[in-house]
Amino acid sequence: MTHRRTQTEALHAYLYLSPSALIFLAFTLLPAFYVLYIGLFNWNFLNTSMSKFIGFSNYAALLKSHDFWHSLIATFYFVLGSVPTGIFAALFIALLLMRPFRGLGLVRLMFFAPYVTPVVSTSIVWLWLFNPQFGLFNEILHFLQLPQIGWVQSARWAMPSVILYTLWHTMGFNIIIFMAGLTTIPSELGEAARIDGASAWQEFWHVTWPLLAPTTLFVTVINTIGALQAFTQFFTLTNGGPAGSTTTASFLLFQQAFVFYHTGYAAALAVFIFIIIAALTLVQMRVSRSEAY
Amino acid sequence: MNAASRTRAAKVVQYALLTLGALMIVFPILYALGLSLMSGGEAAAYPPHIIPQHFQLKNFVSAVSEAPLGRFMLNSFIVSVIVTLAQLVTASLAAYAFAFMEFPFKKIIFLVFLSTMMIPGESTLIPNYLTIRSWHWINTYQGLTVPFMATAFGTFLLRQFFLTLPHDLFDAARIDGCGRLRFLWSIALPMARPALGTLGVYAFINTWNQYLWPLLITNSTSMRTVQIGIGMLQFQDATTWNVVMAGVVIILLPSLLTLVLGQKQLVKGLTSGAVKG
Repeated sequence: MTHRRTQTEALHAYLYLSPSALIFLAFTLLPAFYVLYIGLFNWNFLNTSMSKFIGFSNYAALLKSHDFWHSLIATFYFVLGSVPTGIFAALFIALLLMRPFRGLGLVRLMFFAPYVTPVVSTSIVWLWLFNPQFGLFNEILHFLQLPQIGWVQSARWAMPSVILYTLWHTMGFNIIIFMAGLTTIPSELGEAARIDGASAWQEFWHVTWPLLAPTTLFVTVINTIGALQAFTQFFTLTNGGPAGSTTTASFLLFQQAFVFYHTGYAAALAVFIFIIIAALTLVQMRVSRSEAY
Repeated sequence: MNAASRTRAAKVVQYALLTLGALMIVFPILYALGLSLMSGGEAAAYPPHIIPQHFQLKNFVSAVSEAPLGRFMLNSFIVSVIVTLAQLVTASLAAYAFAFMEFPFKKIIFLVFLSTMMIPGESTLIPNYLTIRSWHWINTYQGLTVPFMATAFGTFLLRQFFLTLPHDLFDAARIDGCGRLRFLWSIALPMARPALGTLGVYAFINTWNQYLWPLLITNSTSMRTVQIGIGMLQFQDATTWNVVMAGVVIILLPSLLTLVLGQKQLVKGLTSGAVKG
């Protein structure tokens, strides 16, 4: 009797899990293996049956290709340019927002707004701001009597331009996470420090910063993963150029797979990106396990 | 300087920094709105104008007639609603099984669900494209929606919520002869409304904002979503940017509206710790 009941319960449980399980299997888990398989072939994009098994040649070609290393450098440039700056700016604003004041709700909404906007539409707005001829940014430089620059159209300034846009777009997310982290710090600790005569800076450095470490790590990892996966702003603002200066690994993947139809080669690149991101996610899960799961 | 005036000074600095920062942050959005109301000549004026001299509403008409934005909006809306509803259903069912039921391999299956969050979209892009193509799902709503109908993040969010419900409730309902699905539908889900709201808003915005996937698997005008469709407006000529901005404003509105209406749910979703980037 009990045996049968546990059996029907298990049957029902599997039934309830099956819709999610089928989707994950078809579009996440099996593809993760399928991409490994594709990477071993000189894959024919138009006619799959013409694909030829070539072992690890795609990986070898990747490691030997100038474009691959160049894209890794561009990726690191993007990550290092956007993540630390974004985190410190967001932390600073979050600290300012933690002291209650009139209009807090509105100000928080304003800071948060860019994050929910579709990247493609707001990067079109920024494309106009960046326009070397008509754009507002060059007008501001002109006003400040600084030399005008080519922004997204110059190989030197294209990446900083994309970084600037990305900082703007992700700021709200980071602020929200930092504010959530800051509310978990008991206010008595800060008060005690102040009674002992600590300055605002000392209070931040010795109380807030150490206690905020898990949040900071979480934000760092999430932002790094986000930066590694960034695609749309590159597609709209620079299309990987000029002269490949903004072709990151993710952009190269798209280009190789869907512009040049080097499917097998792109699959090998996908495996590299997968390994890097999976490792980072694992770190993040380790850290946030106590809070989230 | 005494303590009172020092706090007062700090308050003034705080206000000034925040106001300045917030204005800088929303400026591009307001600027797009300003440009969308300018004439072509004014939009391309140098030095740039920020506030339009004459409001010209016909840019919106031009944007809608230049590219079938109405159709694109409808497609995006259909896709976002289908994905959101599907995620709510699949996540509720799976979360219910994880929270209330016992079955063999529960722990392993849970870990497998968890592991799907580690697999980035980049690495499954090529295989999924090939799959969808071989199923002849290019340019279909199935192709746009089915791959996103399950969510590990949402499943864990709801599971966490279900675990906070007293287990006695479940036992009592079972003894009264209440079936599992009925319990889920009439007791567990109504109580989980805040978590469902969070997941719903989050899923809707994410799907609405999607770019790369719809770009790859649609190529007919009738199936494109609005994010892809905006690219059909004329960018080349500086004097058509007012029309482009009108298009941008049109497709920004649903996102901003969802933000204003669902800010609380969104913030809750983002801060629940396990957001897939």
